[in-house]
Amino acid sequence: MAAVAGKTYPAVQIEIDPDRVAEFARAIGADPDEGVPPTYAAVYSLGVTVPKLFGDDEAAIDFAHLLHAEQEFEWTRHPRAGETVTSTGRVASDVSRRGMRFVGFESETADASGAPVCRSRALFIIRS
Amino acid sequence: MTERKVTFTREQIAAYAEAGGDHNPIHLDDDFARSVGLPGVIAHGLLQMGILGTVAAEAAGGPGHLKRLLVRFAGMVLPGDTVTFTATPDGEGRLELSAVNQKGEAVLTKASADYET
Repeated sequence: MAAVAGKTYPAVQIEIDPDRVAEFARAIGADPDEGVPPTYAAVYSLGVTVPKLFGDDEAAIDFAHLLHAEQEFEWTRHPRAGETVTSTGRVASDVSRRGMRFVGFESETADASGAPVCRSRALFIIRS
Repeated sequence: MTERKVTFTREQIAAYAEAGGDHNPIHLDDDFARSVGLPGVIAHGLLQMGILGTVAAEAAGGPGHLKRLLVRFAGMVLPGDTVTFTATPDGEGRLELSAVNQKGEAVLTKASADYET
């Protein structure tokens, strides 16, 4: 397996689609009239960036043994439905010990003016 | 303390898969889930986190007040499981969060949130 700490993936643009936001809100039992649920960051931040990591042959993530162990979102502000944001994923850490690989994956989301919106920190554990 | 009790259903898990964009068959297809050693389909960790986020948002005075949310995914949630999600004030602008199933097992641990007061 390759350690890919520090590797940054191309930025991804996503529109915060109002219909999908409402569907997401209903799925988690939030009030769709209260705007974009904070954890919709699972879509606009983590959701659009993590496929780059999973699809990266160099990172060689073994899905069969993949566990999403921890997740943190930190917001500078909450985006509004209809906005377009840009998210960039980066491997913050990649350490193997005792037969387990720990991959820290961070995603930074910015708005159309480049101002920060959200930071996502995911920890993946891959058992060998 | 703010609390919400949720009994998970296949329909809710499927709705989250659609809206959240995570179509991993371990959440949708019992046969597939069993083939990888699970008891059947399981809920998305991010669905559990999403529900916990609504409880944290309520305790914080509204979703716009949340500044940070952290969880560790500690246990599986199956359709039919009932999970109690709670948010307890833990100092200025800080919430201690928990998610415990009907057997008393924590399914999310190390969970906390910061909010704007």
